[in-house]
Amino acid sequence: MSRRSRRTLPLAAMSVLLVAGATACNAAAKDDASADSSASAGGKSFTLVTPDAVGQNEFLKLAVTGVEAAAKAHDGTSKVFQSTDTASQQQNVQAAVDAAPDVVVLVGFEFADLVAQQAAAHPKQQFLMIDACTTKAFDNVSCEVFREHEGVFLAGAEAGLLTKSGKVGAVDVLDTPVFRRFSDPFAAGAQHVAPKTKTGTRFVGGQSPFDDSARAKEQANDLLSDGYDQLMAAAAAGNYGVFEAAKAKGAFAYGVDVNQCPSAPGTVVDNVIKRTDVAVEKGIEQVLGGQTGTTTSYGLKESGISLTGLEKGVDSSQCVIAKHPDVLKKVTALRDQIVSGELTVDDPAAAS
Amino acid sequence: MFFDSDLLMSALRALTPILLAALGGAVCERAGVFNIGLEGMMLMGCFTAVATSWFTGSPWLGVLAAALASAAYSLILAVGAVTLRGDAVVLGIALNLLAVGLTSFLLRTVFGVQGTFDDPSLAGLPLVGGFSPLAYLAWASVGVAALMLSRHVWGLRLRGVGEAPDAAATLGVSPVKYQYAAVLVSGVLCGLAGAQLALGNVTLFSENMTAGRGWIAVVAVMLGRALPFGVLLAALLFGVAEAAGFRLQGLGLPQQATDAAPYVVTLGALFLTTARRRRRTPATSTTADPTPTGAVS
Repeated sequence: MSRRSRRTLPLAAMSVLLVAGATACNAAAKDDASADSSASAGGKSFTLVTPDAVGQNEFLKLAVTGVEAAAKAHDGTSKVFQSTDTASQQQNVQAAVDAAPDVVVLVGFEFADLVAQQAAAHPKQQFLMIDACTTKAFDNVSCEVFREHEGVFLAGAEAGLLTKSGKVGAVDVLDTPVFRRFSDPFAAGAQHVAPKTKTGTRFVGGQSPFDDSARAKEQANDLLSDGYDQLMAAAAAGNYGVFEAAKAKGAFAYGVDVNQCPSAPGTVVDNVIKRTDVAVEKGIEQVLGGQTGTTTSYGLKESGISLTGLEKGVDSSQCVIAKHPDVLKKVTALRDQIVSGELTVDDPAAAS
Repeated sequence: MFFDSDLLMSALRALTPILLAALGGAVCERAGVFNIGLEGMMLMGCFTAVATSWFTGSPWLGVLAAALASAAYSLILAVGAVTLRGDAVVLGIALNLLAVGLTSFLLRTVFGVQGTFDDPSLAGLPLVGGFSPLAYLAWASVGVAALMLSRHVWGLRLRGVGEAPDAAATLGVSPVKYQYAAVLVSGVLCGLAGAQLALGNVTLFSENMTAGRGWIAVVAVMLGRALPFGVLLAALLFGVAEAAGFRLQGLGLPQQATDAAPYVVTLGALFLTTARRRRRTPATSTTADPTPTGAVS
């Protein structure tokens, strides 16, 4: 027995090393300074910390664009610290604070607790949080949150106008108030333009709701087999599964965050996009202007939330909505009503 | 109508990758190697299948490459657990963790993307009668595995190796050879499971896309007591529980409750089978299967 365990130990150590090696490979990809930091003389400096690697993550890419634009506007420099896991998030926040740039920009709810600690310890450092906020307010932490439900409502209106079966549904990640922002307003939007529309939502759930495209596809199939022909896809990686299911049945789907039409041209009608770049750039302006410690909300009015169909370049977006100018006209009118305050969209996360 | 053909199709689609992986796990189990690295082997299969299909344009080559790659990957377990006599559980966990890191890293280096690789021109497996050909292969494998294990000399020797390796060795049967073969077979089957998931169920690769299916397969092996038809029944139970769960959501049951459905079903089945087994065989337990308690991921 003792001999056996002696032989087991190096093996166990080896496997741990292997795993550590794989993580090290990931970690090696972080910390790429996107601008030459030594060249700055007197300009402003901004550091962006992301919760995940940027790569093809369109949402984070937009945040990088925002920080770079702000740096350019202020003749300054920007750095991007890309995290890969909880440990590197912590290290990156620490590294960002140690370098003391004018503003540390952080994207995602993952940073709420870390920022709260750092903000208390470094009262002179300015923080800008995107898409989340600390639970307690700090004078040196400014936050920017999005009103996704306004955009989802408009997508729902498109679905209500385009549906032939009179049934529109959503495949959502989890049944929580925040994620319900992607399904409830979709139903509300459809029923606003076509009151008789039947609506339904499926939640992916399971062991890894954000990665499971096969499961999301089956959820979509369940809705499709019930006659639903317009599906809001808000299932992270599962969206591609929803698109595949819709494509196979000749139905239509709606994407989120960025333009997802190219992944299934002819199937994806439109996308609820989140202009993180706008939020980052405007947020930095505000902080530099001395307005700190506030939470700003971005919706249709502030151009923080929009639809691909309502932005420039619809014709080259590969979105189905480009072929329906009549629908776009009605949706534009709805947007104007929401912007003017004439129409308000219920926020499923408001009660929490 | 609650139970209709759509529900059945959905259940069978959900079942296929789990069944293939679980059969691999069952063969290992019978040879006395406790394989919990099914999830990782499957994930390697997913990536290899998608990458090969993308670069060659042939999903069939993708399937072949997935089987080979997962078999090669399973050698880590074979060498570690059989030759070096390391702890198969530790090795299995290492395989699972390594696969997540490795495929994410390869996704980045080979395709230059993160998260998901999805392209409308990626070739998936064709559908025959509503299912991918691998689904039929999976069902056929159940019969083949059952026949091999109960009738064929290889299967009998494999079981002998699993139940009493020393006795098998004295009779001139090499336990090492049979255990290697069993692990490699599980690698091939997990590779096929991965190919089925990434080119059959969906046509894309996303990080960690196996999403716990390998663990469910491990549970299916235990629940089915490593018998091919037992494993099939267990996998079917999961497939139906999952598909029915989706439909129950449509009837207004909250997602949190439907999420629990496969696990509630597992627990219930465990209680039923162990109770029955206890009553039937009071004290004599000669099989090599581990006590199936609390091993849900």
